[in-house]
Amino acid sequence: MLFNGQVTVVSKDAIVVQAIPISGGMLPEDSTVKELVNISGVATVTPVLFVTSVGSQGMVQAVPVNFTMGIPVDDWGLVLGPIPLRPSGHFPANDSSNEIVAGASIADQYNWTVGIDIRVNGYTLHVSGVFDTKMALLNRCLVMPLTLAQTIYNYPQSVNIIAVKPLQNIAQQNLTTAIKQRIGYVSALTETERNDIVQPVLDQVQTWTLGIEAVVFVMSLILVMTVTVMSVSERRRDFATLDAIGAPMSYIFRVVVIETLLIGVLGGIIGVAFGSLTALMLASFYTSIPVTLFFPSVLEIVPPVYMLEMFTAIVGICCLGGIIPAVNAMRMHIAEVLRAEY
Amino acid sequence: MNIRTVNLTRTFRVGSSEIAAVKAVNLELKEPKLFAVIGPSGSGKSTLLNLMGLNDYPTSGNIFVDDADASQLSGRERRRIRNTRMGFIFQTFNLFPTLTALENVELPMSLANKSQEVQEEKALKLLERLGLSNRRDHRPKQLSMGEMQRVAIARALANNPEVIVADEPTGELDSRTAREIIILLQDVNEIEKTMVVVATHDEKIIDVTDKVYTMQDGRLKAED
Repeated sequence: MLFNGQVTVVSKDAIVVQAIPISGGMLPEDSTVKELVNISGVATVTPVLFVTSVGSQGMVQAVPVNFTMGIPVDDWGLVLGPIPLRPSGHFPANDSSNEIVAGASIADQYNWTVGIDIRVNGYTLHVSGVFDTKMALLNRCLVMPLTLAQTIYNYPQSVNIIAVKPLQNIAQQNLTTAIKQRIGYVSALTETERNDIVQPVLDQVQTWTLGIEAVVFVMSLILVMTVTVMSVSERRRDFATLDAIGAPMSYIFRVVVIETLLIGVLGGIIGVAFGSLTALMLASFYTSIPVTLFFPSVLEIVPPVYMLEMFTAIVGICCLGGIIPAVNAMRMHIAEVLRAEY
Repeated sequence: MNIRTVNLTRTFRVGSSEIAAVKAVNLELKEPKLFAVIGPSGSGKSTLLNLMGLNDYPTSGNIFVDDADASQLSGRERRRIRNTRMGFIFQTFNLFPTLTALENVELPMSLANKSQEVQEEKALKLLERLGLSNRRDHRPKQLSMGEMQRVAIARALANNPEVIVADEPTGELDSRTAREIIILLQDVNEIEKTMVVVATHDEKIIDVTDKVYTMQDGRLKAED
């Protein structure tokens, strides 16, 4: 988790999603850092330049393809936490180097390996390492020394996010209050507040998802029931014959329900596989990242618990949808079927 | 098994009118003989057989199976009798299309909870006896009409029933195959000492039956 245990400071006019300012609001690096350092209760101050990729028309993309983070070299651990690198890689030596560390997904997409030089915005950069993590943001991130990022992206002496670590006995809430009182042009957010910003959106998405799931559930149930009723009706003579030769009602019931159960298991396997593939293809479509790069992370994109839930729901729907047709099958008697046929 | 009917009546409601398919039929089938019920279409033959086979319930009157009133039997008991003491042969064979000939014959035994070994042994014996050993793994669609009806006869005999109820067993067959089926039913009656009740239009069956009942407009009259 980025900025773990830290307060983030952004410009008041920045639009922030979790810790990330996705639009607007640059802060003067030196003066803001100096002011923050002087606030009591502050342990460390780390200025960060966070740049999202922009679309061809200069518009901010709804789903950015990649990111760049400029962080003073000594503070990488503070911001990123303990992130391992792929073998033979190393972190940049100092703030004036042109070394960068690339996310695994970007490196795989462009075939970057440790030691090669790449060109970004007309500057030659040396890939000194590749992150070995499945963290989605870092996977698509170029991390470099702050001054290098400021130069490449033409934000001299500017940053858009400052991570402030409180002293051990200082509550984040008290620190953000102090920061806002002291510096009028910034907004300071605790970890909870950062999450609270997106929580209503996530809650709404969840509500919509639940609604859609419920509708799909009911529609599937009706569909399965209709198809099974038709299937049973087409085979009414078979069920009536079973009744005639003395099959117990429970046997006839089981025949239909087991049939729908097997259809459910097969449909569940195909559905989960197809759904997961669709999720990967959608992710690829929105990010322009080749779908093959998503394959290793399929279990992160569609967690196994979710797959199991979907599978269980599909099997459950099929079993449930088989109950009414099974009762219909149980009630078929040879005398009535033959009478209807002749 | 003895089957006796007393004032057996079965009516059906069609729209606002009631049609009596079987009217006050009194009948006693006692010994292991071959009985035929003949009559024109719609005369009530199949309805009578369905009632005697415990596949239908009378509107009024009674059916006695070995002196037990069938109306007092629970659904479970009626099923058990149909499964273990009766065998059914239908005009359209009513074999299960997804099962092989062998599996079709095994099914009534499986429903009677017989072991797989017993089922297979008995089913193979029956198929052999009916000249279908080489067709044991064929599904109904791969069989001729005559073969299908022979599989149906094997299925009806699977649980050594005391009575075979055959509704137009030769109705779908050509005359030569029909003749074969009639001989088979006669054999079953004579060798197994199984009572056979056949509803039919087929004059050839009449020649081999012990007793013929004629149905006309739901009423029954006996002819020897």
